[in-house]
Amino acid sequence: MPGLELPLVLIAILAGTLAVTSAGRGAWVAIAILALTSSALEFSVTDPNRIGLILRLSAIGIGLVAALPENLFEREALRRDLALRTLVRTLLEHPVVVASAIAGLLLGLVPLALPIESSSDALRAAGVALLVVGLPPLLTSRFIEATTRAAVVTLAGTMLLRTSIFGALDPLTSLAIGAGFTCILVVGGSVATRISNAEEER
Amino acid sequence: MTEVEALAAIRALFPMLMALSSLALVPLIRLWRGPLRDDAATYATFGVQLLLLITAVGAGLAGAGYLSTLKIGQIAIDPSEPGRLLVLLGGIVFAVIVGAGEGRRAGTMGQIALFGIAAIDLALAIPSGIAPISLLLFASLGISGAAASGKDDVGRARAVFRDLRTVSLLLPAVVIAEILRTAISYAAVDASYATPASLAAGTALGVSLVLIVAAGVFPFHGRLIKIFEALPIVGSLLVGVWIPSALALIVMSELSVLASGITDPLGGAIVPGILLAGAATLVFGAVSALLHDDIGEIVGFIAVGNAGWLALAAAAALQSPTDTSSRLIVLPGILTISLFGLWLVSVRRRYGTTSISELGGWARRTGANGIALVAAIIALAALPPGAVLAARLNLLLLGGNPLIALFAFIGQILLIVAAIRLLLVGFTPESQTVHEAETRPFANIITVSLVAGSIFVAAAAAGWLALESGGTGPLPPAPSVSPGASFEPAPSSEPSVEPTPSATVSPSVVPSGSGEISPAP
Repeated sequence: MPGLELPLVLIAILAGTLAVTSAGRGAWVAIAILALTSSALEFSVTDPNRIGLILRLSAIGIGLVAALPENLFEREALRRDLALRTLVRTLLEHPVVVASAIAGLLLGLVPLALPIESSSDALRAAGVALLVVGLPPLLTSRFIEATTRAAVVTLAGTMLLRTSIFGALDPLTSLAIGAGFTCILVVGGSVATRISNAEEER
Repeated sequence: MTEVEALAAIRALFPMLMALSSLALVPLIRLWRGPLRDDAATYATFGVQLLLLITAVGAGLAGAGYLSTLKIGQIAIDPSEPGRLLVLLGGIVFAVIVGAGEGRRAGTMGQIALFGIAAIDLALAIPSGIAPISLLLFASLGISGAAASGKDDVGRARAVFRDLRTVSLLLPAVVIAEILRTAISYAAVDASYATPASLAAGTALGVSLVLIVAAGVFPFHGRLIKIFEALPIVGSLLVGVWIPSALALIVMSELSVLASGITDPLGGAIVPGILLAGAATLVFGAVSALLHDDIGEIVGFIAVGNAGWLALAAAAALQSPTDTSSRLIVLPGILTISLFGLWLVSVRRRYGTTSISELGGWARRTGANGIALVAAIIALAALPPGAVLAARLNLLLLGGNPLIALFAFIGQILLIVAAIRLLLVGFTPESQTVHEAETRPFANIITVSLVAGSIFVAAAAAGWLALESGGTGPLPPAPSVSPGASFEPAPSSEPSVEPTPSATVSPSVVPSGSGEISPAP
């Protein structure tokens, strides 16, 4: 899949950046796109044994269904939130995150200072860029939904970085990591709901 | 699937099968008793307790061995000695705790316990790579989310949120450690790169960080305290003690392999840093336990003290990889804190308060709770002196720093003093709350199980009771983060990655031969 790798890497980084900078619909759609692209990068779609890819996509799909907020698919609102102008404005409002993503991409293209040089440059770049974008909000954000999305971005970046060196995960580890994605999304969604319910009651 | 393969799958996945069967059993019991009947919850609790005990007995009988190795493609799931021992004891401990907790959600807590010990068993059965650690981290997150559900409590939700952040941060640390670990074999033959010792130091730092943060070692103790404050006791024990201890077994195994594979001393201040963190955690946990007046927080700080021992054990695994003392203290620590948890849930259930000022005379009013706390104190002190106490003293000696050893010793003494203070409160004049509380007759199944369970667990924790998980062959040790089959390092340059001599986690368990992963037949 060498021809598709670069576009998928760019889409994954852009989706990761939007997932941590947008709010509401834009961010959740970006998370879904990030999940699709990073899974396709991690488990080559041309590989005849697609169990890892199927497990990952199923796990993230279940997690997203459980975590997505209500009224996400209102057609008019979705069209407004996903308009190109809105997305560009969101990115322009967060220049530090965009700069971090670009810096991460460039940093990732430089080989690691380790005696393992067989790694894939594109995957490594995507992994480092997503880590650089996801870690700061994961450490500092006080908003539960934003932290959940940042956790997904960080985990996707970590797995891409690992894949760039060790190759695709074995089915068992893939199952464990897939369960982790689901767990983060479900628990994050449930905590957000519970806190907002408690605050409403108060 | 042949009959032999089916048998192997059942043996390998026995605790998980029991946990999954609870998903059917509890709704069936509720259907049988009717959702509006008051006794539906009681019967569901009995059902789950029975499953916990069956899991324990099953782990004891089936154990592990060649026949229980389940092969799925290239992956082997081979129940490990520590895993099966934790299941054996966990089934009994949580059955008693769920019984003492009673209440509408006791059945759900039992199910959470079943899944928790099944996840620990499965994680310790996977030979290598990031799967075991990620499985434990995500199980911790899932359990805290499940334990906190059922009530819109902001405190609980925030504790889970903190756990989500922690777990998400630890996984990158594990992957970086795994990458550095792999590079060691290449650095050994190419001098232009980082030295094996420095890469090993980076790996040790990564995996130690996982242990330090997950276990709640100072200054990362806040998460553990919040967990004990906010979550129900089954969730607190699993997320705050059992899963971090299982992680500790994996980390210690990895640290031993690393240290034995490197000829030069590890770079940096990693060992002194971990030692200092361990001693500081013991002193901090003990002083905090003495200064607080809420029994939930006090038990949380005693758990922090136990995390200090885990840090000292990790440092010892790096200093002296062949010494088994570091792995010997893990199981007694788990059992001791579980006993305190059992006492806490029983007292909280009986008197409806956790404030010391309202619990005057509790031990005189409910003698069974007094027996539970005495058992916990004996387990904490590891009396009479035996293998556990010797292992703790050995850890202090292995550290090589008399000042740190003295601090840790003082911390342990203060922890015991904090626990004795709780007991003394029980013999002061009865408070209004205690006087008005309803008590059960001593000849009651819950009271009898509380007393018998406390004595059994204390005996196991203090090292009086010989415990061994059965099996047909040598049992494998805990796994390490060394990469699995997906990556094959250069054969000519591979450093020694022989597993540690023993994964013994019980003072009386005989070391399992060479400690190598059992091969498939």
